[in-house]
Parts: sequence; structure tokens; C-alpha cells
Amino acid sequence: MFKAKTMTIACAAATLTMALSASTVLAETPSWCGPNQASLALLDGFGGNSWRLVTTASGAEEAAKCPSITQYEYADGQGDTQKAISDINSMAARGINAMVVFGDAGPAVLPALTNAHRAGTIVVPYRVNVGGTEGENYAKFIGSSFVEDGVSWGNWIKEVLPEGGNVLFLSGPAGNSQGIDELAGMKQVLDDKYVFINPEPFAVTNWDPSLTQQVLSAEIAKNDKIDVIVSDFGPSLVGALPVFAEFKRSIPALATSDGNSLSCFWEQNKDANPDFKLFTVATGNDNVRLAVQWAVALATGGTPPADNIFKAPVYENSVSGTPNPVTCRPDLPGSIYLSAEMADDAQAKAVGQ
Amino acid sequence: MAQYQQTAVQDGLAFYVRSLKPSRGFVTVVISTLALIMVCAVFAPSAISAGGLAGSLPFAAIIAIVGLGQMLVVQQGGFDLSLAGGVSLAVVITTHMAGGSDAQLFSAIAFAFGCAVVAGVINGILVGFLRLNAIVATIGMNALLYGAVFAVSGGVPRITTPLMAQIAGGKTLGIPHSVLFAVAIMLLVSFLLKKTIIGRRFEAIGANPAAAHAAGLRVQLYQTMAYVLAQLHYCIAGILISGITREPTAFQGDSLLLPSVAVVVLAGTSLLGGRGFPISTVIAALFLNLLSQFALAVGVPFSAQTIIQALALVFGIGVYSLQWKQAATKRALKSKTEETDNV
Repeated sequence: MFKAKTMTIACAAATLTMALSASTVLAETPSWCGPNQASLALLDGFGGNSWRLVTTASGAEEAAKCPSITQYEYADGQGDTQKAISDINSMAARGINAMVVFGDAGPAVLPALTNAHRAGTIVVPYRVNVGGTEGENYAKFIGSSFVEDGVSWGNWIKEVLPEGGNVLFLSGPAGNSQGIDELAGMKQVLDDKYVFINPEPFAVTNWDPSLTQQVLSAEIAKNDKIDVIVSDFGPSLVGALPVFAEFKRSIPALATSDGNSLSCFWEQNKDANPDFKLFTVATGNDNVRLAVQWAVALATGGTPPADNIFKAPVYENSVSGTPNPVTCRPDLPGSIYLSAEMADDAQAKAVGQ
Repeated sequence: MAQYQQTAVQDGLAFYVRSLKPSRGFVTVVISTLALIMVCAVFAPSAISAGGLAGSLPFAAIIAIVGLGQMLVVQQGGFDLSLAGGVSLAVVITTHMAGGSDAQLFSAIAFAFGCAVVAGVINGILVGFLRLNAIVATIGMNALLYGAVFAVSGGVPRITTPLMAQIAGGKTLGIPHSVLFAVAIMLLVSFLLKKTIIGRRFEAIGANPAAAHAAGLRVQLYQTMAYVLAQLHYCIAGILISGITREPTAFQGDSLLLPSVAVVVLAGTSLLGGRGFPISTVIAALFLNLLSQFALAVGVPFSAQTIIQALALVFGIGVYSLQWKQAATKRALKSKTEETDNV
């Protein structure tokens, strides 16, 4: 009797193992991975922060899913436009078949991309608009829908503040297109009941935590009533939000992008701040995966993905708990992004902690 | 005869009054700051409200501390462009080496000070003994320091330890600790510069290195000392930033270089070296910070904020960089000469 039971368990285990290994094999060759062998390079304009480290590691992880990719290279432009351009040129000269480019310098890298494209390299810029047209200057541009982020924030603001209210919107450097797109998205859903109290189009923070702190304290001092803060870089607010305590006011509702440090900050402060509700969209590390899929598909003869624009999914909502409640992992570094597809521990490793 | 006596008395009196008279930089910067406070009170009261000040004063304190460091170098006729690297390195050492644990905080701080001394000594030797141009030497040092910043942090920000947040970001009697640090450092620098033999020699060497050398002072040693002390200031500023900003980036020093030079100039320290004005430097830091808070509180567009700050700087420097009195005297002399010529 005992033996028969053991046999059954063994059989079940064997079946399960076979099923699992079969699905692993299937997962190993996604449809975007074609039969032709190719080399791939990921070119970063600036690689020196945790978001970029996680993104770079995500790109490498995605490329590793395709066995047709025989060589994988990475170059960091270190925030220097000249270096970014020379990285593109040297990868093209080395005969790399496909390159995925984070063109931080915008149109400044377009001539180098165009040359590489004409030389026969599959060029896929992503996230930052570099100008030019598809097919002429590069193979495919994989944008990110910041308007969509703005719409998601706007809808949530309507839910938590149905009667309208004062909105403070913080973004990065003056005139950055990401912030302008996000504002356009919010304006699509928010009517006149919602007043933007920041200078048009957004309060400039350069995405720098210390400038954010100064800007926020000035805005809090100036405005007696801030109902919701919108920011496109959530973790940079962690240092600034305690300023509300100086004014003996509750931290208001916050619509932003995710980050482990921010989620943990919410956990620690939600009880002392009754108005502190948190809503985040995924910060978009996985944008690079879509770009890698496109580049690999075009270089190896695979089927390109259906999407050609990355839509950051809604990630956390402290009010409804859907799609996720706010998730803090105090055991992991604050500078990782739980919304990213990459495993949490792998991210911790990527940021060197 | 009586006329001569009267002139002598007048001269003596003038000398007495002059010795009591505060420096032109001090007067300018105090008047400008008071004027700005009044403008704020009318147009942007939130900038000088208790809460507004609590938010902005820690950053003024940081600018004051790096400004005092830069002042020491400027007093020796130099410029220290390695400030950005020095501050950033202190930030990443205190956040990364401590790794969020209070137990390791003090060893991390000690290591940061060690690095600052090494960087300062190298700067000092390059400029003081090997006679390299200060700008060139310190730009090189800045690149080296940034190399160290990347080696320590990989460019990744990390959260500060709770103890550091308490030390730098806490308050005693309603005053932010960073402000207390800045005031203490200012008093120490003022005392050392103005009331000790070393300080007096330091200023004399800055004013005229050749004369000081002829008088037997060890010019090169004092010049080296300026760079070491400056790095120590940057290090303190970096450590404080790591506590004030909960998750500071690895490049936190970048935005401090220009303000550091600006406050030194606003305070009236000559870029050619010589006397330093620590108290004026600290007030200038307050002025500069208040100015940006004013621009934020008024809610002008970002472009206008930058322009307002630039105009204030031009105004501040113009007030006493131009030799108004001398120019007037020259004009008067010239017209007199012309009159004589005509005759």
C-alpha cells in the first residue's frame, strides 16, 4: 500500500517535471526569436543610476531568452553625447547586427543612428524620441506612452477626489517631453474642478532629490491646501515628503511611479498621515524588453511583437488594492523597482547590493 | 599750522572709524539680505514663514559650509573645482559604506574624512609645491574623485541611516542641526582666521605671497593647508547632505560648485586672494537660498527663476567689485587736470 502510494507520487512528480521542462523549452524560444544567428548591442546614453542598472540587466535577461543571439554587448555613454555617438559608430563598425539604443541626447545621436542604419544594422531606439522616421533613419522606434500614465493618474485622482481639488505636479528638467505628455494625459480626464497649483506646465525638479525637497517645501509653504501630488519619479519624493510634518499637515494623496523605497515610506507613514493615499504606475524598466524583442525579431527573422509602444501598467493602489496593494520589501534595497518583470533578488544584484 | 593739526586729527579719526567700520562686503550682503527679506514679506510671505524656512535653511547651511571651504582656497588666490567630487564622495561613502546600519556610520564618516584629507593634500601639493594652475589641478582631482564615487556606489543612490538622518536632519529648539553645524564652523573659521597667529599668517600670505615669503613665512605649506581645509569642509557638507536628503544621488555635489563661488564673491573676498569674510559668506549663502525660495514662492516660470538669480548675482558683484569711489576720484582728478591744462 505504502509502496503503491510512493509510486503514484513518483509518477506524478515525473509528469510534473516533464510538463515543466516542456514549458521551459517553449519559453526559451519565444516567437520573436527567429532562426538566424545575430549579435545584439544595448547602448545606454547614461547608465549611472539604479533605474538604468535594472533596465540594463532586464535588457540582457530578455536577450538571453533567444538562443539565436550569439553575442551581446553593452556600452554606457556616461551622460556624454560625444561618447554615446562614438559608441554607436564603433558598434556599427564592429559589425553588430542589431542595436537597441537609449538615446538620452535625443536628436543629437540621430546622424550616428542613421549611418548605422544605412550600413545595414538593425537600429531600434527606445523611450527617448530621437526624431527622424522609421525605415529611413532607423528600423523601429519603441516609445513609451507617458500620456497613458497621465490618464491613469487622472482617473485615480477623480476617484479619490470626486469633488475636485488642488493638484501639484512635479516633473524633471524644464521642458522635458515626458512631463508635458503626462500633463496632456491628465488634462484629458481632469476638468476645471481640478486646479494645477504649480507653475505651468510643471514644477521643475530635475529629478534631483535635494532640489525636489526645496521645491516641495516652497510649494507647501505657499499653498495651504494641496490635495494630491503627482510626480513622475516617486522615489525622489521620499526625502521631501517629511516636510509636511514641519507644517503639521498630513501628507496628501500621491500619484506617481513605483519604487521600493517609496512603498516602504508609505508603510511607515500611512498611520500618522490619514490623507496619504498612494497610487503608482510601473516605472517602465520593461520598456527595454519590448525594444529588445523588436530588435531581435528583425535581426533573426522572428515574428515582431504586436505592440510598438510600451504602456506602463498601473502597479499599486493603496485605496482599492488592485492590481496590487502597496508592496514594501524592507529586506531588499530601496533602489529597486518591484514592478519590473525582473526577479527582485536579481535586481538587488544588478544594483550591486 | 593749525590747518595741518586739524588734518592730522581728521586722519587719525578717519583711521579709528575705518578700523571699526565693517567691510564693504558685509554691509552689501547684509543690506541685500534685509532688502530681500522685506521684498519676500510683501510679495512672497510663504518664503520666510517658519515652515518655509525650516525646509530651506538646511540647504542654505550646506551652501554656507562649502562656501567657507571655497573661501579659504580663494583667499590663497586659487579655485577649487574638486568641490563637486569631494561632496559627492562624502555622500556616497556615508550612505554606501554604512549601508543603512547605524553601527557602521562612524567608521564610514572617519573614512570619508580620510579621503578628504588625501584629496586635499594632493591638491595642495600640486598647486602649492608643484605650482600647477589651481583650476587645472582641481579639475583633474575632481575627475579622480568622481572615479572614486563610481567605485564606491556604481552611481546608485542609497538610503541614509536613521542615525545620520537624526544628526543632520533633526532639530534642537526648533533650529535644524545643519544650521547649527554651519554656525559652529563659521565661528571656528572666523576665530582661526582673525584671532590666531596661523590665521593672520594665512591671510597675509593670501594678500601677498611674495612679501610673505620674504618675511620668512612658509607660503607653500599654508597654500597646501587651504586645500586640505577646503576638502574637510566639503566632506562635512557631503555628510550632512546624506542625512538631510533621505536618498541622495551620487552626484549631489554638482549643483553646489557655482553657488560656492558665488557666495565667496558676494561676501567680498577678492578672487586675487587676501582677506576672507566668513560671516559675510554665510549671510551670502542665506541670501542666495532665500532668493531661490523667493522665486519659487512667487511661482514664476523656471526660466525666470534662473534669470532672477543671475541678475541678483550681477547686481551683488557689481555693487562692490567696481571701484565706484576710485572711479569717481579718477573722474574728479581728470576734470581737475583738464581745468589746469586749460589754464
